[in-house]
Parts: sequence; C-alpha cells; structure tokens
Amino acid sequence: MSNDHDGTTRPDDAPFVVELSGVHKEFGDAKALDGVDLRIRAGEAVAVMGPSGCGKSTLLNMVAGLDRPSSGTVRVQGQDLGGLNENGLALFRRRNVGMIFQFFNLIDDLPALDNVALAAQLTGTTARQARRRALELLDELGVAHRKDVYPAALSGGERQRVAVARALMNRPALLLADEPTGALDSRSGEQVMDLLIDLNQIGQTLLIVTHDPNLATRCASRLVEVADGKVARERMLEASS
Amino acid sequence: MSGAVWRASRAAVKRRRVQTVVIGLVVFCSTATVLLALAVISAARAPFDDAFEAERGSHVTALFDPAKASAEQLAATAHRPGVEAAAGPFDQAVVTIPADWVGRPPGPLALVGRPDPASAPVDRVELLAGRWASAPGEVVVNNPGGGAASRFVGTPLTTNTGVKLTVVGFATDMSQSSGGWVTPEQAAALHPTGRQMLYRFTDAATEQQLTTSLANATEGLPEGAVESGQSYLVLKQAFSAGADAYLPLMTVFGVLGLVVAALIVGNVVSGAVISGYRHIGVLKSIGFTPRQVVTVYLTMVSVPAVVGTVLGTAAGWVAAGPILQAAFSGISTGTAVIEPAGWLPVATLVSVPLLAALAALVPASRAHRLSAAQAISAGSAPRAGRGLKVQRWLSGTRLPRAVSLGLGQPFARPARTALTMAAIVLGVVTVTVTTGVTTTLAKSMAAPDRSTHIDVQTSAFSENKIAPRLTPEQTTAMLHTTPGAEQVSVRGLVRVGILGQPQLVFADFYGGDAMVDHRRLNVVEGRLATGLNEIEAGPAFLDQHGLKLGDRVTLVLEGRQTTVTIVGKEIQGNANAITSNDATRALLTPDPHVVEYDVKLAVGADAGAYQKAVTGADPSLSASVVTPGTEGSVVAIQTFSTTFSALLSVVAALGVFNTLLLTIRERRRDLGMLKSIGMTPRQVVAMTITSVAWQGVVSGIVGIPLGILVHRLIVEHVRIIAFPDSMIDVWGAPLLAALALAGVAIAVLGALVPARSAARLPIAEVLHNE
Repeated sequence: MSNDHDGTTRPDDAPFVVELSGVHKEFGDAKALDGVDLRIRAGEAVAVMGPSGCGKSTLLNMVAGLDRPSSGTVRVQGQDLGGLNENGLALFRRRNVGMIFQFFNLIDDLPALDNVALAAQLTGTTARQARRRALELLDELGVAHRKDVYPAALSGGERQRVAVARALMNRPALLLADEPTGALDSRSGEQVMDLLIDLNQIGQTLLIVTHDPNLATRCASRLVEVADGKVARERMLEASS
Repeated sequence: MSGAVWRASRAAVKRRRVQTVVIGLVVFCSTATVLLALAVISAARAPFDDAFEAERGSHVTALFDPAKASAEQLAATAHRPGVEAAAGPFDQAVVTIPADWVGRPPGPLALVGRPDPASAPVDRVELLAGRWASAPGEVVVNNPGGGAASRFVGTPLTTNTGVKLTVVGFATDMSQSSGGWVTPEQAAALHPTGRQMLYRFTDAATEQQLTTSLANATEGLPEGAVESGQSYLVLKQAFSAGADAYLPLMTVFGVLGLVVAALIVGNVVSGAVISGYRHIGVLKSIGFTPRQVVTVYLTMVSVPAVVGTVLGTAAGWVAAGPILQAAFSGISTGTAVIEPAGWLPVATLVSVPLLAALAALVPASRAHRLSAAQAISAGSAPRAGRGLKVQRWLSGTRLPRAVSLGLGQPFARPARTALTMAAIVLGVVTVTVTTGVTTTLAKSMAAPDRSTHIDVQTSAFSENKIAPRLTPEQTTAMLHTTPGAEQVSVRGLVRVGILGQPQLVFADFYGGDAMVDHRRLNVVEGRLATGLNEIEAGPAFLDQHGLKLGDRVTLVLEGRQTTVTIVGKEIQGNANAITSNDATRALLTPDPHVVEYDVKLAVGADAGAYQKAVTGADPSLSASVVTPGTEGSVVAIQTFSTTFSALLSVVAALGVFNTLLLTIRERRRDLGMLKSIGMTPRQVVAMTITSVAWQGVVSGIVGIPLGILVHRLIVEHVRIIAFPDSMIDVWGAPLLAALALAGVAIAVLGALVPARSAARLPIAEVLHNE
C-alpha cells in the first residue's frame, strides 16, 4: 500500500494508466527526452518539475498523444500510442485524456457552457445532453452562474475552472495539467489547486507539469524531477493540505 | 526608408511566404485580366482613328453624276463653308474583273483616276507594293486587307470592254474610296460613269453633321447630281464590327476582373495587416514610430503586389497580341495597326500597385492608431466573441459539431466574409456568363443534320488551278450520278453593286436540289430567301446599311439590275455580304459564278470513294468531307470566355484560400485546443470546408440569376450576331444545378489546401507557443 497526497492509501496493484519506456525525443540535434521511463498508476497524482527546456512539456505531450517519440514506447490505458495514426490519436485523446493549459485555451466565440459541452459534442453526444452534463460540471466547480458568459468576461480563475470542466467532460482516465496555475493570481491559483486535490481524492489520475513547488507538493503524491531530458529523481511526497 | 524599417519589411515578407505568394498571384491574375480587357476595348476604336487621321481620311466620299455636275462645279464645292479640305473631282469608271484575277472573286471593280495621292489634301492612299500608276494602261489595286500581294504586280487585266491594263502596284486607304486607281487620262478613256469628290468637314462627329455638311457643300448643284455619299463613320463601324462582337463580353469581363481584383486585393492586404497586429505591437514597443509601422506594412504588401503587377502586365501583353489578331481577323484594317495600346502597361503598372497600397492603407492606418499594448494584446488576449447569437444557436442544433462550428466561423469576421462572398459571387457570375455564352454559341453552330456532306470546290475558290474539264451544268450532273449522292446544292459567289452605295458587296447565290446549303447561315427573323428577287443578310449588314426586313434595294451587276426584297435576317454574317438564290442571280448574270458544291451523301455511302470519283471526273475540283466547322469569331469568343472564366475563378478561389489562411492563422490556438480534446483531422477538414462551402451555396443563389441577366445583356448586344430566343434561353434544370455547384466548387477549391494544413497543425507546437 502507498500513501496518496492526502494521506489516504492507494493499492500498489492498481493498474498502470501511463507507461513510458525508453522514450527519446529529438528536435533536430536537440534532445528533448533522453530515455525516459515513467509509470503512473490509476488514482495517482504525479507532478513533473524541472528547469525550462528540460523536456517536461515534451513529456506531457507524449502522454497526451500530441507528439510522437523518436523512439521508445508510450502506453496510456494499455494502448500503445505509437501504433495510432492521427485519427486514432484524436479518438484516443477524446476518450482517455483531459487537458488543462496555462492559458486556458477556451474558444472566445463560445460561452462557458458551450466551451465545456464542445468536448462531448465532438463524440456525437446531442447538444441537449452535452449541455446538461456541462452544466453539472460547472456547478460542481462553482461557476454554473457564469455559464452564459464569454471567456473575455471571465476572471482567470473562472476561465481555468471552465477549462477543467471541459477537460473532465468525457470522464477521462487521465487529467493532464500544463502549468495550470501559471497564469493565475495567488488566490485563483489556490482555488485551482484545491480543485485538483478534490479531483484526485475522488480517484482522478493526475499528471501535472509545473515550475511551482507549492503546486507540486500540495497536489501530487509523487514528484518526478526532469533534467536534460532524463528523469533525474523520483520521490514520494508528504501530504500538505 | 530607414535601414531598420527596410529590414523589418524584408523580414515580414520572408516570414509570410504563403501570404506573399497569394498577394502576388491574385495581383498577377487580376492585372492580366484587366490588361486584356482594356486592350480589346481600346483596340476597337483607336487604331481606326489613328490611321484615318494619319491619312487625312475622307469624311465623305461623294459620287456625282457627270451629266448633271461639271468638273468645275464640283471643284468649286471644295471652297464651300464647312469644307476643311477636299480632293477631286476624279473620274470613276467601273470595269468587270474575271475569275481568278489577283486572288479576287469576279465582278465589278470601281477605278478612279487620280494622280499620286501621297501629298493629297484628303485620302493619302498608302502604297503597299510596286508604284503609283503614272501612265495610261497602269492600275494600282486597292488591297483593303493590308497584305502586300507584291507577287501579283505585273498581272495583266483585260476589262469587259477590251481595255488592257497592268497592275503596277497595290495600295490601301482607310477611306476605301475606290477598288483601284489609274491615271486621270486612263480613267477618262474608260468611259467614266461618275465623278468622285473626297471631303473633310469641320463638323464631322456624327452622321447628322456629315449629312448637313455634304448638303452645304453641294448646295447649288443641280438636283440629283449627288449619287451617293459614303460616310467614314460607317467604315469605322465596319472596322470595329468584329471587335464589337467581343466588346460586351470583354467589357463585362473587364469590369468583373477589376471588381474581383479590387475585392480580393483589398481582402488579402487588409487581412495581412489585421493578422499582423501583434507584430505591429512588437515593432511599436521596440521604438518604431506609427509612420514607420505603416511603412513596414505597405512595403510588405507592395513587394508582392509590384512583382505580381509586372508579371501580370507582361503576361497580359503577350496574350493581347494573339487575342487582338483573332478579334480583328477578316476585317479590312487598311493601314491601321492592330496592337495593344502603348499606354496599357503603364496604366496597369501604375494603377494596380496603387490599388493594393490603398487597400492596405485603411487597415494600416488602424495599426497606426493602435497603442503598442493594444496591438500586442490583439494577438493573445481573449477577443470579445463575435457572431455570438448565430454560433450559440448553431451549437444547439443537431448538426455534427464540426459542421456547426464551421457554419458559425464566418460570422466572427463578417466584413472578411462579405468580401470573400462577393468574390465568390463574381466568380459564379463569370462561370454562369461563360456557360451561357458558350452554350448559346454552340447552339448557333449546331449542324442542321447529321448526314455526311462533301464539299466540292471549283478552281475559282481553291488552290487547285487546273483548268476545269466540266462546265458547271456537267459538274452538277456528274455529282448527282456519282454513286452515294443524295442531294447536290450549288453556291455561286460574285461581287455586286447596290444602287446608291459606293462599295460592292459579296453575294452568295444558292441553287440546286435543296436550295439550302447545309452551311448556310440560320435565318432568325423572317424567312430564307428562296423566291425570285429575295435576299437575306446578317445583322451587321443591315445595321451598317441602315436596312431592315421588308426593305428593297437594287442590285447591279454587269450592267444589269434587279430590285430585291430583304426577306430574312441571318444569325450572323459578313457586314458586306448578302445571300440570295440562283434564280435571282440569273436576272443579273448568265454566269452562275459557281465556287462550290455541297453534296449530301446517302446513309452508308462511302465518302472516300465519292471524293475519289469526283476528282477523277474533273481534276480541277477538290473534294473534302465536311466536318462541323466553327466560325472564327465564335471560337475566339469561346476562348476568351473560357480564359477569363478560368482566370476569375482562380482569383476568387485564391480569395477563399487567403481568407481561410488568415482565419486558420488567427484560430491556431482554437484549432490546437479542438484537436487536443479529440477533434479528428477529418473533422478539422470538414469544419474548415463547411465554413466556406455554405458561402459558396449562398453565392450560387445570388450569382446565378445575376449571371443569367448579364448573359442576356451580352448576347442581345453582340451586334454582328442576332441570336433568336431559342438560343438565348439555354438554362435548363440540369445546367442550373451544375452551375449551383460552381460557387461551392470555387469555395472548396480555395479551401482544400488550408483545410489540410489546419488538419496537420502541430498541436503541441501551437499550444506551447500560446
């Protein structure tokens, strides 16, 4: 049994959601990843830290199926991403992965509700069903009252909550967060951290890339430090919240 | 321009390669289109005026009855008020030329006795070959086609009255004052039947002024002294008759080309500036003044615009020559030089880059006003949503989300969408007009039957100069009895005079079995001239001679005359040609002047064996199987239409291409996000194509009726062809359905490449950059 970030226990035999084995990634002559091995079990919250340019965002892109390794294998939910074409990767992301970004990446021309519903509608869910589920999520995240507001009129924290709701829309096995508090003021950042902790507490697997030690220690149960494209160190974290 | 501004401009051009190429291509196609259109429009008028003035052409060439007005009386008219200059009087005689004489059809030839006109006050006839007639027995022949024909210098001519002449030169004049010239002494010896005066008047701009001026000049002469007066305005109209066929079409395409060019250049250029706001902000933040920023953007746009203009001007210039040649083929151009006007390249080289710069100036001045912070945030901060109600409504529909997103996209940039749609509408109008014109022309050229026809030409009409073995009657009988013949028709061709008209006209006389040659032109009003003393003519002939159906004219040939009635209007035809029948010909001349026979073969007959049998029976005949022919100007119109249609469609598609390119650039982040949440490449393509396909549909709905209207305007204003309604109403349901796809096709054509590039957008890179 292992400790989770909040002190609860997680079975050691929980299935692996993410399995990276000998992953290399080169951009021309530059090595972004240099033989990375990483495994994340279901329900785990893992933070990846490291200096700028160390390869942590590239690592996240590999797991999300946004980029392909030069060599090595990336398996998510038991699926080898190397065997998927662009279409297959899109379907994989749709079914298995939710992503939140530093700059939210909401569509400016759609109100909060439709931004969230969009992810489900791409799978063929009807507009009515998608909006109902989106409203539930916005409600759970405390921004239901802002459902008809367009991104330009939302605060940073509200935008990130809407982005989280969108990421959770298709009930992904894995939630990926790239500097989720990087563009937020401290109060909004705290709120987003609480939200991630809550999600992990109800079993959501998290992979967070961040520069912020506070975010890593508060939200993650394990810290992976990356340097020069390699996993330099891994350690379990004590719960701090 | 400072070094920093130039370096920033150069870097902007290099960095935006695709945008630079698009601006260059749009400007290239637009410039070529505009130059071609202007070339034809200007060539239709200017060359005649230039050549006419250079020769001091005759405003009115008047023919007087020598029995009623003496030479002294006529010479005095030169000094009447309103007469700017005059030449004459010159004696005029009419001789008959035999078949196969200096490559001309047989018939009468008017000869005028004139001393060398090189420095004459009016009608300075230009010598093309040989020399001017300086002694009796010498003749200079008018060669209105302008060719030198020097190989015929020295050819003898024995007139019908036995006078022997020798061709000593060929000449031409814009006034077409005579068929040939001899010395005054020789003219007097030919028993002249008229006296010619050539006038230039101070007021000669309209027919009315010419009539008044001639009346003033001849005031006091005995009644009936003036036999005829040929106006230069009629010649000018005849000169541009071929080009007139193109004018409505070329004007429409020229205007369409200009408007599409302005729209697309404006759209492309303003889009380039708007999409560069962030770049503008960066430039301002590092110390560029607003004026320097505007300079950077104007330079960025001007470089490809100038390159496109130069190349487009060159391409248009190269294409203009052959197109003008086609437009003026078969027209008596005299000394007029048909070539694109020299000012055209200058006009396009100056105006098109100016247009591009003006289009760029509006958004660039907006960039001028923006603060650095505003400009930078325009590229990264969330925009206030646009077209929100539509997008909201679409997101709630049952449409696949990729489709509803695509449908809503254009509402976010309504001005850009409007400009793009306008370009597609004009593209659809062009395609509709072209389709209509070519369908109408195809109908006008449709062969009346599907039988095999053999065209048998006599030596008078072919290069085969062997002496005929059979008489026309024997030839007709031989053609009938040769196995395979079903019908044999005969065509005679001779030049006849029309009483009161100084110029001779070509007369086709049809006879034989069917009385109707299968190549004979369709009569679109009235009926075929099959009865005695009946003729038919094309719209150009009727127009230029001021005649209409039912009018009567008197034909003159070989001293005989007969009065005929115009009973039919042909679909088209030479401005100097009429059509009649063999019975009417017999009233004028016993010689049938046969130039060819048309043999309709029985079904299953061996055309090859028939040809062989005919040439075997008389080697002077040449026989060939008739293939459905196409009239030169018709082919040229079809070629123009297709070329312009293709050019403008490409320009419109480039407009769509550019719009999408800008949209994709602006929405890179959105696209990356959509792909990150599972939008497949196919859905991205569907979304992108949907965003313009519906604009194509709407453009079709707007553009097709407009195109039909423009088509009608064009075909009703082609003055040398009179299309009946059956040929104008070409719009069947299948054709309209096909045209409805034109807008979509243009839109999708322009969208394919950007859609694929959107589908391939690297998500990680896009989202990381943001």
